Amino acid sequence: MTLLSLTGIESGPWITLLDGELPSEGDSIAVPIARLLEEGVSAFATAGALGAAVPTGTSFAELEEVVRSLTFVAIEFSAFGDGRGFSLAVRLRKDMGFKGEIRAVGPVMPDQAQFLLRSGFDSVEITDESRVGAFRVSLERFNEFYQTDYMGARSIAHARHGISQ
Amino acid sequence: MYAYDKFDRSLVDIRVAEFRDQVERRVKGDLTEEEFRPIRLMNGLYLQLHAYMLRVAVPYGTMSGDQMRRLAHIARKYDKGYGHFTTRQNIQFNWPKLSETPDILAELADVEMHAIQTSGNCIRNVTSDQFAGATADEIADPRPYAELLRQWSSFHPEFSFLPRKFKFAITGADQDRAAVKWHDIGLIVRKNDAGEIGFEVIVGGGMGRTPVIGKTIREFLPEKDFLSYQEAILRVYNEQGRRDNKYKARIKILVEAMGAEEFARQVEVEWEKIKDSHIDVPQEEVARIQAFFQPPELANQDATSAVTSEFAKKNFIFASWLQNNTNAHKVQGYVNITISLKPHGGIPGDASAEQMDLVAALSDEYSQSEIRVSHEQNLILPHVALKDLPAIWADLDEAGLGTANVGLLTDMIVCPGLDYCALANARSIPIAQAITKRFDDMKRLQDIGPIKVKMSGCINACGHHHAGHIGILGVDRKGQEMYQLLLGGSGAEDATKAAILGPGFDEHGIVDALEKVVAVYLGVREDGEEFLSTYRRIGAQVFKEAVYDAA
Repeated sequence: MTLLSLTGIESGPWITLLDGELPSEGDSIAVPIARLLEEGVSAFATAGALGAAVPTGTSFAELEEVVRSLTFVAIEFSAFGDGRGFSLAVRLRKDMGFKGEIRAVGPVMPDQAQFLLRSGFDSVEITDESRVGAFRVSLERFNEFYQTDYMGARSIAHARHGISQ
Repeated sequence: MYAYDKFDRSLVDIRVAEFRDQVERRVKGDLTEEEFRPIRLMNGLYLQLHAYMLRVAVPYGTMSGDQMRRLAHIARKYDKGYGHFTTRQNIQFNWPKLSETPDILAELADVEMHAIQTSGNCIRNVTSDQFAGATADEIADPRPYAELLRQWSSFHPEFSFLPRKFKFAITGADQDRAAVKWHDIGLIVRKNDAGEIGFEVIVGGGMGRTPVIGKTIREFLPEKDFLSYQEAILRVYNEQGRRDNKYKARIKILVEAMGAEEFARQVEVEWEKIKDSHIDVPQEEVARIQAFFQPPELANQDATSAVTSEFAKKNFIFASWLQNNTNAHKVQGYVNITISLKPHGGIPGDASAEQMDLVAALSDEYSQSEIRVSHEQNLILPHVALKDLPAIWADLDEAGLGTANVGLLTDMIVCPGLDYCALANARSIPIAQAITKRFDDMKRLQDIGPIKVKMSGCINACGHHHAGHIGILGVDRKGQEMYQLLLGGSGAEDATKAAILGPGFDEHGIVDALEKVVAVYLGVREDGEEFLSTYRRIGAQVFKEAVYDAA
């Protein structure tokens, strides 16, 4: 498994906590969102950095309850075609103003790299290491876009008229 | 019409390079078939019954003579010399080789065309009124807004993996020729009391196995908020649309389950958060795109043409063609011509490379090099002078394109059916051919008058049978192809769902049944009453008795 940064900012690995497992003090841990909501953020106060492992089916309202305590969020795709993960990332950035790391976990394709980046993801966990190159190529594919991205970066429509944000 | 700038050009060029790379990776095994599938679909490439099929976008049904010539060239070089125009105003090539599709896409990019998002679970080619910008009954040309949608929806980072496909239609006219109420999102250009342009927004329409007529969730959306509101709708759908069952994944199911009012409320909440945030383009960009769609400057013409009237007196087919295949233009002395791709005994929607070349040449000479495709699978030459009609018709007729049946019984929408399609249960084309042979007499067709017959070879309803005045649906009954008859649908501003009349028929019985329905209508219609009005007045029972009692 390889961790690829989409933004160029390197991030450290973390441990995804299994059911019933308790973190060692100071660890960076990703807690499944269901458990985090059930046990509360305070149950994991000893963690070095607290994150949530969030399946794409999670509603943004649930995430909103705990987002202020989180340093990072791992969005778990069930399949590459499960586009809910993109909206979750957009929500985290735009609606909740989340500044921490958002990582894509699960079977995403190299060809989705720019969609991930432009929806607000920082990094991807790549299970098949032979695909890292394809991810990198895809990440550089397009250089102008018809839409503003999650940060409000200018779109082609703005660039055409010399408008930048 | 719209012309690419360096940004548009660069995007389609990069897209071609990307797809070339993806095909190579698939061939090498670096991409699995499962992963390659959505990639090829989003580039218009389907795997059909016998071969690959490439669906090329004709954005909102408008193209130039040069673009049509390129389509003819592709039909000749990469296919079997013909193409098929579809209900989404696109064209399909039925026999391309996978290895050659990147080259085809490059040939298209060269004339500012593409196959981007003509398939897949993403936002598809936006459809519109085939007479947009050329019709007298229009508030505003809807195509600049369709172009805004095309750009906003192309490679949208958040909405490229939706629960299911997503189709927009937009019209600017009172008369709905784009079936907007049958789309995931239908838009009607409106003007408010202050004279400002905005849109009525209709969501949750659709055909398929669960036909639903869309519901208005906003009466007037201001022009400046056009895209942010669509983004709000798409976000609610992307998050909450069902992903566990592909037959329940369209937005219509979500809107029905939630209720249109609750859906509208959630969209408004979402929109409030994003409406003033640069999702919408600057006003200068709307103006830039609108400039491409300015009406052409047309020379002054008399309101009537002696040449044309005289020729019509001598030639009954031309007189019928004049009546059926032309409609009023904004400008006096001009009309829009609909070229029927429904020759009797032919394949509905098909055009040969030679026919495409002819249409391109005629467009250069008579219609400002502009051509339209209608969702009813015909071609249009807009802005044509009345006096030029005899010459144009003579050329068309010689090429097998002179059929005078537009809007009449044999001008059917027909899906490709089991002759091509991997999903179909029954053949459509032979039934259409049998119907056109049965109703081959122009005088009889003219007497029957305007009637819309629409046929699908399976419940996915690509042939719009739910919206037909008369609908025909092919089904599979224990290995036998059977056909159900539906009556009373409409795809226009008075949209209604057609209802199944009774038990189905075999391929011969369905043609007889259709004939009996027509006979009932001719027997009971009042003066000047069209088929749909008669059906609405008298109901299904009389038709039912005539079709089933005699059997």
